[in-house]
Amino acid sequence: MSSSSRYVTFEGSRNFRLRVVMATLSGKAIKIEKIRSDDLNPGLKDYEVSFLRLMEAVTNGSSIEISYTGTTVIFRPGIITGGSYTHQCPNSKPVGYFAEPMLYLAPFSKKKFSILFRGITSSHNDAGIDAIKWGLMPIMEKFGVRECALHTLKRGSPPLGGGEVHLVVDSLIAQPITMHALDKTMISSIRGVSYSTRVSPSLVNRMIDGAKKVLKSASCEVNITADVWRGENSGKSPGWGLTLVAENKQGWRIFSEAIGDAGDVPEDIGASVAYHLLEEISKSGVVGRNQLPLTILYMIIGKEDIGRLRITKDQIDERFVWLLRDIKKVFGTEILLKPVDDNTTDLIATIKGIGFTNTNKKIA
Amino acid sequence: LNGTKNKRRKWDISKLIYMDNIAPADAIKRWNGEADETEVEEDLEDDEDTEFFTQKTNTTPNKAVTYHDDLERFIPYFDTFNDLVERWSTADSIKDRFVGKPSLN
Repeated sequence: MSSSSRYVTFEGSRNFRLRVVMATLSGKAIKIEKIRSDDLNPGLKDYEVSFLRLMEAVTNGSSIEISYTGTTVIFRPGIITGGSYTHQCPNSKPVGYFAEPMLYLAPFSKKKFSILFRGITSSHNDAGIDAIKWGLMPIMEKFGVRECALHTLKRGSPPLGGGEVHLVVDSLIAQPITMHALDKTMISSIRGVSYSTRVSPSLVNRMIDGAKKVLKSASCEVNITADVWRGENSGKSPGWGLTLVAENKQGWRIFSEAIGDAGDVPEDIGASVAYHLLEEISKSGVVGRNQLPLTILYMIIGKEDIGRLRITKDQIDERFVWLLRDIKKVFGTEILLKPVDDNTTDLIATIKGIGFTNTNKKIA
Repeated sequence: LNGTKNKRRKWDISKLIYMDNIAPADAIKRWNGEADETEVEEDLEDDEDTEFFTQKTNTTPNKAVTYHDDLERFIPYFDTFNDLVERWSTADSIKDRFVGKPSLN
């Protein structure tokens, strides 16, 4: 075998976590080259190395080779073992950055996942803990992962963090259920969490006011909880943010989130999250854009059967194309997009599962 | 007129996604029928010297990663606040997406 075909080779720092996750699920070794090779600080960042350490901890037999300059990584995956582990997240990335990829792996593990993440719990770019809890875990539930939870023990706002989050996934399944979701998500209610650490509780209520004002035009029930954290459990820095979740009776969720910085007006943050939610609803078919990778990957590793998912034209953006190209590189499967014939521009993504089975769940 | 119309052939998105020689951004544009070839050519002629360096970096896989193309950024792209305010002064356009509470008026 030539050296080029031993690895699935990627270039650049794009989709780093997802590529490592896909390698682990498929059992294929990957090589990522030219990671920020033109950058002033070339190579892997501290949080990416931290993520690789986490991957090493939850698997058995993984080997990671990082080149001297850090611009090339070879990752040979082991089997997913899970277990109890405490991960200290660097302050450059919040716990969501590390917890989110774990959701892809946890149900297919040998032992139950119980990981304690320490660090920052909210940020501008990565998944917040409320988004994972109310936005991503319901998706997993749809695929048969019923017992998963993210417990917030302490909140910690940037820059200093000091939060603590416990990810528990008790369902160990052989493979995800084949799913057919052909109807647009009809929203029956909007819920939300408005939280703060080490600031006046009035900020939380002002955010709720701002969001409610915008959502008045949405004809459904709006219920936003105030969640003020004080004292030792509120981390080391002041901070505040809002997560809004639009939900329907079938258990689908569409969500948006944001956090405030010093100098931001709470009403504006509340309003902007509400606007984002409306925009996301208008753009989404069954799931929102930030839930698409999880949904599609679960469908890809499903039974050798065809699953269907309704998406909108707006959801096909560059990120979507990159996702599908990466999936094809690792798993070798393509998905088919067919237009729906009901006066919309929506499409049905037809996805054939690769027939993945949890290696630890050999049926006797 | 007909000539230009024919040029803009209808692309099949399922195939376009997996054409590795086309950058994702271009693939989306072609699918939407936005980019026609003349546009691209003009671009190349316009910036010969001035954008020499930027062009060079554009071709590398490490070009400034924006949230348009990287899943490492979890929060998707949204228009600016003011645009959104304008668009969503009422939620009438997505009224059919809500069920439940009947309107009070």
